[in-house]
Amino acid sequence: MEALLNTGSTIDEGRLAKGGSKYTDDYTKECAVCWMCAEDFTSLGCPEKVAVISRDRKYSVALTTKVTEAMRSGQVFIPRSIWANVVVEPDTFSTGSPRYKGSPVFVEPTDDEILSAEELVTKMYMGGE
Amino acid sequence: MVYKNIICPVCGGSCDDVQVNLDKKNGTIDVQNACKMGNAKFQEVVSHHRILKPTIRENGKVKDVSWDEALEMAADILVNSKKPFFFLGSETSCEAQEVGLHIAEYLGGLADSNATICHGPTVMGIQESGMVGATAGQAKNRADMIVYWGVNALESMPRHMSRYGVFPRGYWTKRGRFDRTMVTVDPRVTPTAAASDLHVQLNPNSDYELLSAMFTILNGKEPHPSVEEITGVPISVMKQTVEMMKESNFVAIYVGLGVSSSYGKHRNIEIALNFVKEMNNYTKCNIGALRGHCNVAGFNQLASYLYGYPFGLDFTKGYPRYNPGETTCVDLLREKDVDAAFVMSADLMDHIPAESAQYLADIPMICLDIAPCPSTTAAEVVLPGVIDAMECDGTFYRLDNVPVYFEPFTDSPFSETKSNEDTLKQLFAKVKAKKEA
Amino acid sequence: MADVILKPIGNFDLTVEAEVVTPDNFAGKSADDIGKLLVWQGPEELPLADFFSVEGNGGSSAEDTTIIIDGEIPRVKRIGQEMTGGKVLIKGSAGMHVGSGMLGGEIIVEGDAESWAGMEMKGGSIHIKGDTKDHVGCAYRGSWKGMSGGRITIDGNAVSQVGGGLVGGEIIIGGSVKHFCGIRISGGLIVVKGNAVRTVGAEMTGGTIVVGGCIERFTPGFEMVDVESDLKFNDIECPGEYKKFTGDYAIPQKGKGTLYVSCNNNECL
Repeated sequence: MEALLNTGSTIDEGRLAKGGSKYTDDYTKECAVCWMCAEDFTSLGCPEKVAVISRDRKYSVALTTKVTEAMRSGQVFIPRSIWANVVVEPDTFSTGSPRYKGSPVFVEPTDDEILSAEELVTKMYMGGE
Repeated sequence: MVYKNIICPVCGGSCDDVQVNLDKKNGTIDVQNACKMGNAKFQEVVSHHRILKPTIRENGKVKDVSWDEALEMAADILVNSKKPFFFLGSETSCEAQEVGLHIAEYLGGLADSNATICHGPTVMGIQESGMVGATAGQAKNRADMIVYWGVNALESMPRHMSRYGVFPRGYWTKRGRFDRTMVTVDPRVTPTAAASDLHVQLNPNSDYELLSAMFTILNGKEPHPSVEEITGVPISVMKQTVEMMKESNFVAIYVGLGVSSSYGKHRNIEIALNFVKEMNNYTKCNIGALRGHCNVAGFNQLASYLYGYPFGLDFTKGYPRYNPGETTCVDLLREKDVDAAFVMSADLMDHIPAESAQYLADIPMICLDIAPCPSTTAAEVVLPGVIDAMECDGTFYRLDNVPVYFEPFTDSPFSETKSNEDTLKQLFAKVKAKKEA
Repeated sequence: MADVILKPIGNFDLTVEAEVVTPDNFAGKSADDIGKLLVWQGPEELPLADFFSVEGNGGSSAEDTTIIIDGEIPRVKRIGQEMTGGKVLIKGSAGMHVGSGMLGGEIIVEGDAESWAGMEMKGGSIHIKGDTKDHVGCAYRGSWKGMSGGRITIDGNAVSQVGGGLVGGEIIIGGSVKHFCGIRISGGLIVVKGNAVRTVGAEMTGGTIVVGGCIERFTPGFEMVDVESDLKFNDIECPGEYKKFTGDYAIPQKGKGTLYVSCNNNECL
């Protein structure tokens, strides 16, 4: 499914990030989550986990799904975090600010394991050290 | 012991009414008045995961070292770099950022701060068209219409609505919430939107068109009908919103990343600012940004008065230059145009897109922070941070660019440094000694 | 005409700023002297010869000098900045700010060009045969006046902010553009032969924009006034039928610009 990705803060994301708890399970549970509407969730086959993939298909991140009435069809939301930023487009239209809101992404059901923030940075960014 | 009127070092609200009761013996802290985020940060003073020892990474292994060794290695990295990059994060004082800027200037590097991945486009928009602003107190006492545009204030600045925005009883808004109309413009049904009188649910990336159409209506013209499909908002609702604004006594618009980070970026802000200027022909209207960190506004102020530009400073030619998209953090890292990084009081690794983050992990990085996070994991050198407003004094600029001086209620846990400013001064001395040797 | 041939041989790991590479600076210099001109890499000033092999001497004046860059230089910025005459031919892709503030002469880029090509240029011509990115012929940050003369021709696509603040001169894009093409222009001409995504002519108070393809999301503050066919602006021809709009009424300034949109590709407007 193609969707527009919105990212932003949630109160518990803020609480955990500011409290230095980025390497806790609570943080992963709060932030490694893809919010979507019931209609999109059903059309994807009600998956427990989805892979959100960048438009150029270079980057992908596995997330649990969350169904909410806050979203409209064709739009997904990931709390502002390392998981969301894996698929945020790095191009800034010459403004310095990447496309945190409204990046086009693909969303597909997946069985991949959900990485913690620490695993993500070591495996994906540091080349598996 | 109980300490009152402590400044909260978390979001741009920089709340100044926090009360803490620190029990050093038992290692507990009780916090009153702060929000969930603020409370969590105050717990860092006594937390178990706090970074207390400098570390370096040698052959892939992390080991504890003395402060002197860590600072030596940090200075080596910076001096040996051909083009160092300084990310001077905003959860620390202006005083510390100032030293960071001076090191960047001395080495001919580049310096940037959280604004670049936050309200940078807002600052650029202000540069394009000027701003009709107000302090938070003005808006609190006068505003009878509040617009949250592209911002979920309840979750990103939890006390904004209760301290300044919607609920407080102001001089001319004595009945608090009942004297105010609240409008939210957001593609998502956020808790803020749910609490509003009117929620304009626009399509993502259509803020410019919506503002442009409302501006056209304000100028007495009919917007092109295609705008309804583009924005997902009926023209009648736009007209109603404009009318509501015109009929109010004082409109306070708060913009968030929804405006500055979606497609259009600084142009969204620019037209919003122009709209506000024009609205002042009918009523009092002002605009302000809800800023994410306690001192993100501070860096913009500081860099502007020291070097003439608000962020994305390039000192490579010996004098400051600025060009977002060329001299800004995400672009420099994406284009692999720097070869070492110094990251202070910000988890940069967490907040930039994968391509930039990968390169940041590749180059030597020095990280100054208080708790383990992706940036400290990927860093070559980790310097423990001192928590501003709790363990040292200094200055923040609040969301409305009002400077706030803060005093600590406890001391730095380190004998080697009193504050991040102190740490940076020690680093600068080492950098100078090496460079001049 | 004297040709100076530069071949990239250096290490471009970090970008290089080479505003000295203009016919004005090369005129009257031998190949050796040209190699000693200084360019910037980070905070260091290094001789041009560290990055390019130099062949041939400069002519007697800028007009007499042609600079040929024989290779790809996407990480070399500011080639031809503020040049007043002569010619620069880049046989590959060029970095940022190519021909920025240019006053005269000619630049040809056979590959792509990065952002800020021809920023605030006042005269001369730039021809980019490939694609380019943002801010072509645009105003500097915070400035209200962009390109004021000369011509920029792009055979491929451009991205955002094409001709921002244009006050004069012409920009002709063979391909498509994305956002904010002709933002805040008050004069000059922009012709886009392909499509545009959104906000074409936003905040314009003068000048002319022609879009031959489809505009995905039309700017709300425009009003249709007429239908015209086979437009002609001096030597630039735009055949076919065009809907003529004036605007942008979103801003209160008195002057209004003209936006022509192809009838065939925009039936819904």
